[in-house]
Amino acid sequence: MLIALAGNPNTGKSTIFNALTGAHQHIGNWPGVTVEKKEGHVEFEGESIKIVDLPGTYSLTSYSLEELIARNFIIEEMPDVVIDVVDATNLERNLYLFTELLELTGKIVIALNMFDEARRKYKINVKRMREILGLPVIPTVAIKGHGIKELLQESLHGNFAPKGMEYPDDVERRIQKLLKVLEKYKVKNPRWHAIKLIENDGEVIKKIQSIGARDAIHLAEHLRHEIEDIYGDDIETLFASFRYSFAHGLFHEVAEPINVGGVTLTDMIDHVVAHKIFGIPIFLVIMYLAFNFVFEVAAPFQDAIDLIFNGKDIAGGGHINGLIDISYNWMASFMPNWLASFINHGMLRGLGAVLTFTPIIMLLFLILSVLEDSGYLARVAFLMDRLMRKIGLEGRGIISIMLGFGCNVPAIMSTRALRNERERKLSIALNPLIPCGARIQVFAFITSIFFVSHKAVVLWSLLLLSMVVVALVGFVYSRTIFKGRAEPFVMELPPYRLPTIKGLGVHMWEKSEGFLRKAGTIIIGAAGIIWLFAALPWGVEYGSQASYIGQIANFLAPLGHAFGLTPEALISLFFGFFAKEVVIDTFTVLFGTKSAMLASMTALQAYSFLVFLLFYTPCVATLATVYQETRSWKFVLFVVLEGFLLAIFFSFLVYQVGTLLGVGG
Amino acid sequence: MKLSDLKVGESALVTKVEGKGAIHRRLLSMGILPGTVIRMVRISPLGDPIAYEIRGVFISLRRDEAKYIEVEKIVPLNLVPPGERVRVILVDGGPGFMRNLSEMGITPGKMVEILRGCCPMSVRTELGVFQVGMGIASRVFVR
Ligand SMILES: Nc1nc2c(ncn2[C@@H]2O[C@H](COP(=O)(O)OP(=O)(O)OP(=O)(O)O)[C@@H](O)[C@H]2O)c(=O)[nH]1
Repeated sequence: MLIALAGNPNTGKSTIFNALTGAHQHIGNWPGVTVEKKEGHVEFEGESIKIVDLPGTYSLTSYSLEELIARNFIIEEMPDVVIDVVDATNLERNLYLFTELLELTGKIVIALNMFDEARRKYKINVKRMREILGLPVIPTVAIKGHGIKELLQESLHGNFAPKGMEYPDDVERRIQKLLKVLEKYKVKNPRWHAIKLIENDGEVIKKIQSIGARDAIHLAEHLRHEIEDIYGDDIETLFASFRYSFAHGLFHEVAEPINVGGVTLTDMIDHVVAHKIFGIPIFLVIMYLAFNFVFEVAAPFQDAIDLIFNGKDIAGGGHINGLIDISYNWMASFMPNWLASFINHGMLRGLGAVLTFTPIIMLLFLILSVLEDSGYLARVAFLMDRLMRKIGLEGRGIISIMLGFGCNVPAIMSTRALRNERERKLSIALNPLIPCGARIQVFAFITSIFFVSHKAVVLWSLLLLSMVVVALVGFVYSRTIFKGRAEPFVMELPPYRLPTIKGLGVHMWEKSEGFLRKAGTIIIGAAGIIWLFAALPWGVEYGSQASYIGQIANFLAPLGHAFGLTPEALISLFFGFFAKEVVIDTFTVLFGTKSAMLASMTALQAYSFLVFLLFYTPCVATLATVYQETRSWKFVLFVVLEGFLLAIFFSFLVYQVGTLLGVGG
Repeated sequence: MKLSDLKVGESALVTKVEGKGAIHRRLLSMGILPGTVIRMVRISPLGDPIAYEIRGVFISLRRDEAKYIEVEKIVPLNLVPPGERVRVILVDGGPGFMRNLSEMGITPGKMVEILRGCCPMSVRTELGVFQVGMGIASRVFVR
């Protein structure tokens, strides 16, 4: 049995999906697009049920990708039952989508979700609603799991005798007329096609044209003009009005407002956080506190993971073995040294480097989930939209940019909040240009050696450079390669809700697990390849000048000269591809002491190196995430090239201009 | 006038939704239709977008999008100062609510004179003098 979940955005669809399927779910993309597709399984009363979560939409027109995905799924896959998740606090608007679903299928179970909140607003007569619609209607409180079993029961055994929505007689008569013509052509679901043809739906017209039903198209056009003349408005407005007046009527028939009146809590909170003057400062303070929280809480976990993998040098000499050492010693006892080294010093160390960052990734996901579930994210979009639009994004785009300063991995995954494919790709392309926490660590390390007295200035200049570049690149991209028609930004500002611990936990886990499992394999593989370069030919010192990577660095040295990059700097950049903070280790290993580092580069060279590090390719984990989100190696390649070109351009500029002016020599 | 011309706190009745394609459809599916009451709630600190209350929901629209919506300004009855005579444009509620009000002579098209502002509000209609609660008055729109 196949069940599809449909509904408006933010109605608790995901929560219901999770409650229905538990851990048995699979998150992927809809074919060919970056829209998330969730599928799950549940065994119920001996029946194996597949559940598909359709994108949240307000209607089923052909103007947006999500809406097309949702309606095509219902037409083509013909789910046995569609569960329409309705936000009961906002019945009228939610019932509009229901009227559109009802034209596609009669097997609908309505889940009146958020029933707990709705009860404080209205008295809802569920029984009456069932009678009027002739369909199962179940009040649910998804966050508490109430009504979930009933949804499955009704899907299996419910009584489906839908009393369709009625159009005014003179419209209905015309639909029937067209229906007769369409029936000749044996299209599935002729009534829906008839209505959509009259509504002038581009996709349906194309489809009907392709089966050669010219007469139906001409008739539909004629009928459309007749209806427009009778009612004196355009066809889209008219059909929306017919549907809304059904929704409006139904709403008033089944819901009786409990007169509470006065200002709502949401209104009061908005008065402060969306305030003309304080709104933006409050946003910045919230983000600052959130980041402090992330880094403070993550630090001990990161240290622990590092200790487990790499062990620790003891002050008085000696070394406590970590997982890598122990496993290496063990494996070396029964397999060739090179293989043991490949597995442990290559892949396992690569895994360790990435895992060190998982506490930060998970906590950033936690922050993201709090922002989303509380309803604050929509306010951020409201506050920042004007600014973000300049670089071709809508207001919500600011979130992925802010998260990018923590780690590009969750930042890129957070672009799922953008509902527009073009804007998603644009913000994925921009994100690696934002210096993540790991790169900022490297900046801090290098500046503390080379720019002791101007640490802050150097750090800020790099952050400023990245912001300027992001703004410029965004501006250019949105007018060239990521150009597209502006999508409407009609956005709901949902009521504030206290996020539930369980909801946050599920969100955080879902995203982190997805990253670890899918990106993990790519990362371990890449770590193995990096090891091969650094350890071969067999017998040389790992990562030394004699290894392949050392040879490549020496070969590139004349080229690096133009940017002031020394062979050691090139080697460290190569290792930075793993995870950017590895640059620090590489420096430590290659030079040993601070004075040796200072002697190896001039201040200008060091600055040029930092600029290069700022932009050149994102780390393996970020690339794996880019692939996972776009499903396109071409896009991954694009991101790498973009980074290298910017790195080459800016570090060349810095080094050459600096040399000309004779600074930092 | 255009929806984007409303000031904070003002209400209006939609008369026409212009625009083509995606934006037209999106506005309609959010329930912005001829006859819908819209209240302007607040402006973003940067001047755009603007938050409106529509059918009990807060929705943010960019100025460019709000320009597509033709409106005429209306005032909820509870904000009309005493002594004024106004015409009822719209009663916002279900059939029961409308029936109760029509029994007091408050139906679209009819004139109402405000005798006392608060509280309770009292009004004179064709059918006589009535007292109206503030909650009810806020759902009667006049001009
Ligand atoms: N009070 C209450 N809150 C709920 C209920 N169901 C979901 N929520 C909350 O509503 C918010 C939105 O829930 P989601 O499940 O993310 O909604 P969605 O429809 O999947 O949203 P999109 O991901 O935007 O499509 C979350 O903060 C949930 O905790 C409910 O029955 N009662």
